[in-house]
Amino acid sequence: MLILAGGLVTSHEAGLAVPDWPLSYGRFFPPMVGNIFWEHGHRMIAGTVGILTLILAVWVQFQEKRTWLKKLAWISLGAVLIQALLGGLTVLYLLPPAISIFHACLGQTFFCLTFLIAEFLNPVTAPVMASPPESGSDRLKPLAIMTAGFLYLQLVLGALLRHTGQGLSFHILNAFFVGVHVLLLTMKTLRLFGGDKTLPRTAVMLGGLTTVQFFLGIGAFVFTKALPRGGYAPEAGEIILTASHQTLGALILATSLFLAVKAPK
Amino acid sequence: MKIQSMFSAIGVVVLFFAVANPAHAGTVSGKASFSGTAPAVQEIDMNADPTCAGLHSETVTTEDVVVNANGTLKNVFVYVKQGLEGKTFEPPATSVKMDQNGCQYHPHVFGVQVNQPFEIINSDSTLHNVHGMPTQSKEFNLGMPIQGMKLTRKFDKPEVMVKFKCDVHPWMNAYAGVLPHPFFGVTNEEGVFEIKDLPAGQYVVEAWHEKFGVQTQNITIDEAGVQTADFAFAG
Repeated sequence: MLILAGGLVTSHEAGLAVPDWPLSYGRFFPPMVGNIFWEHGHRMIAGTVGILTLILAVWVQFQEKRTWLKKLAWISLGAVLIQALLGGLTVLYLLPPAISIFHACLGQTFFCLTFLIAEFLNPVTAPVMASPPESGSDRLKPLAIMTAGFLYLQLVLGALLRHTGQGLSFHILNAFFVGVHVLLLTMKTLRLFGGDKTLPRTAVMLGGLTTVQFFLGIGAFVFTKALPRGGYAPEAGEIILTASHQTLGALILATSLFLAVKAPK
Repeated sequence: MKIQSMFSAIGVVVLFFAVANPAHAGTVSGKASFSGTAPAVQEIDMNADPTCAGLHSETVTTEDVVVNANGTLKNVFVYVKQGLEGKTFEPPATSVKMDQNGCQYHPHVFGVQVNQPFEIINSDSTLHNVHGMPTQSKEFNLGMPIQGMKLTRKFDKPEVMVKFKCDVHPWMNAYAGVLPHPFFGVTNEEGVFEIKDLPAGQYVVEAWHEKFGVQTQNITIDEAGVQTADFAFAG
């Protein structure tokens, strides 16, 4: 939800609708008119997520035995705090591309961290660790890691494109590599773990989401690059497609990381 | 000492006549005509801010292309682009004003001299941010949440044009030509502009329009002092 809210801020070009930070027009709650709705709404959701992440970190600290999971929870809290600071800097320094891109990437990294923490705490998916593949050449993990790596690169290239308008050809080229890897990973997971349902289901979901993402990407391209803007503000089609493309990208990245983490070595 | 004083006095007299005598300065005037098909006028939907919507009983339209009743264009910024190199012009102490009124900028296109005070006013009972987007001077984004609030800024570098926008109300934008001299004008409801007191000489005059780009003309101001420069834009 926070990723979507952030995407809607960018898509509405509302990033500077509130010129101060951490307050909004000098107050905690400004009138939610015009694009302030999107920018201040994003800040409120982010504040809520920050508080929830603090609760999560404290809860994991006292309830969990796994030290690495405790560390992961504190890292996620650190990430959301840095993310808030980056959000403030983007406002105060008038959307410098480097900080905006960092903000976009860290936001999805934070989402992936909390997604994985949730999965590790999930009694159903946490124990999933399918039987090792029979042949050494059929190892799934390297392919899953590679896929997640290409997806993360796609996130960086997408953020670059969104905040500078540059790098479209690299984004498209990498989309090809992402597509190929997701296809290979899905097929291989189905072949190797046909009996175990969690990983194949996740792999099929990854393939399905990536397919949808492909069409959302084409739609976003058409609205932002191919068609001239008709009015003074972004149109609904452009807003819906760009924000969904960005949000679905986060979900795909998290799904691929889940596979990379859960796949046997 | 006496000779030096005499030369100083002569210098003052010569300068006075050079500046004050209209025979040494001219006027450039003209119009910006328009041909072709103008883009459809776009209605502004102000419902995202009920205060803005409540300020207008009639339909409000965008100002990026305003074709006057006589077939001319409004909001064309015309200025001396070349011919004044090496001359310096003190910025006026009086400020140029841009008002946020009815959730629109007034004026939509204007000129201001480098280092001339530029006053931004919020006459609306809603909040605005004023996002000035120069690339040569420092960019700024100022919150103006209080009705009647005024802020003053200056631009320290020339730039044609500097865009302003309100990120709260995406339909609000305006453009300023920032120049090192006072020789500029903006076409009005008749499509006419006028640039006064231009010293005699040869100049390149440029006309800028938000949608239809720029056009230039070479002109000569002689002691007769009047020169016409008409520009023709096409849709």
